[in-house]
Amino acid sequence: MKDADIDADETDRLLLQRMATGDRAALATLYRAYHGRLCRFLSRLTRRNDVIEEVINDCFWIVWQKAGSFNGDSRVSTWIIGITYRCGLKALRQRGDEPVDDEGLPEDRTPAFDPGEDRELRDWLGKAMERLSADQRVVVELVYGVGHTLDDVATIMQCPVGTVKARLFHARVKLRNILPALAGDPITPKENRVP
Amino acid sequence: MKSTKDTDQDCARAWDAMPWVLQDSAPQEQSAWLTDHLARCEACREEFAQQSRLRLALSLPTGIQLDPEAGLKRLMGRIDADETDEAAPRARVSAWLTRALVAAVLVQAVGIGILGVELWSSDSGRSPYRTLSSPAQQIAPGAIRVVPDTNMKLADWNTLLHSLQLEVVNGPNDVGAYTVMPTHTSTAEVALQQLRTTHGIRLAEPVAASP
Repeated sequence: MKDADIDADETDRLLLQRMATGDRAALATLYRAYHGRLCRFLSRLTRRNDVIEEVINDCFWIVWQKAGSFNGDSRVSTWIIGITYRCGLKALRQRGDEPVDDEGLPEDRTPAFDPGEDRELRDWLGKAMERLSADQRVVVELVYGVGHTLDDVATIMQCPVGTVKARLFHARVKLRNILPALAGDPITPKENRVP
Repeated sequence: MKSTKDTDQDCARAWDAMPWVLQDSAPQEQSAWLTDHLARCEACREEFAQQSRLRLALSLPTGIQLDPEAGLKRLMGRIDADETDEAAPRARVSAWLTRALVAAVLVQAVGIGILGVELWSSDSGRSPYRTLSSPAQQIAPGAIRVVPDTNMKLADWNTLLHSLQLEVVNGPNDVGAYTVMPTHTSTAEVALQQLRTTHGIRLAEPVAASP
């Protein structure tokens, strides 16, 4: 773990301790600190804003109630993302995954910081992620997007490390075969070259 | 020159190493090895470029923008509502407990009242209760103070009292004396004489004659 991660985790633990005593200011601080990354993480599960917001609040509702029982076996961020993951899956089971197309977004919700090249890259990623299962998208986000280790991902998804490895492997194989085509490159069958 | 098998093993090793090198969490030796391998393997170089692009794409801001302050406000409202809901059952339990205590006090009060009335009505028709150790009553004429022998059996004492038609109205006092009364005044003198002649009676004197 990097020094910055250790410092951030220490800060998060202090906030949890304050929350355990009913300190709402600590809850607000933690909420604001995690809102962006949880939005990003949940956007790999669903693109419905209402579901994302509901899941984030469900997650922090649990964090608020369980702050005193956090046992410290993992980083606070791993614990929170794990709760978010489970809340997200539950919400998807209840509502069904109905991704929202970018074209369907109102003008004011389209990011203003989206120059052409980034937008192209985002579209490429969005189309690729649609080909993956929800669990594969989560693993790809956690490993490539957030930078978690296999152990962290196993903790978050509450499954063995071997299962995480398998999901990551299959996700990479799928992406390997579709990403060049999505980027406009000539399609070359690569299944036989997968190690 | 490496064999095909060696190359495949290296590519598999490179495949495993790529995510962690991209994360910058791989050991220095692993990163250096991958760099060296990529310089010699075009397929892995392409794969690594694709992985780098994937990581770059994942690092871009998502198209979804939510206002954290609005979400936080809703969360706080939810916590407030929950605390209110928790307080309501507590208040309900408290009110129920108060009502139960009031009912218990009322039941006790009614019970005590009934018992009081019962005792008052039963006491009004009787003479006051007294024990043998209570202060001596006003002794009626004809009372006799009797001191039985300490060896006298209770059965003999009872038989004697019965035959002489006497009843104990006081005693025994500190010296073992009883005060007895004839059930018929006319037999007092006779009873006194017979007591004095009865074996086992140490003393028999009319009360009026005592000092």
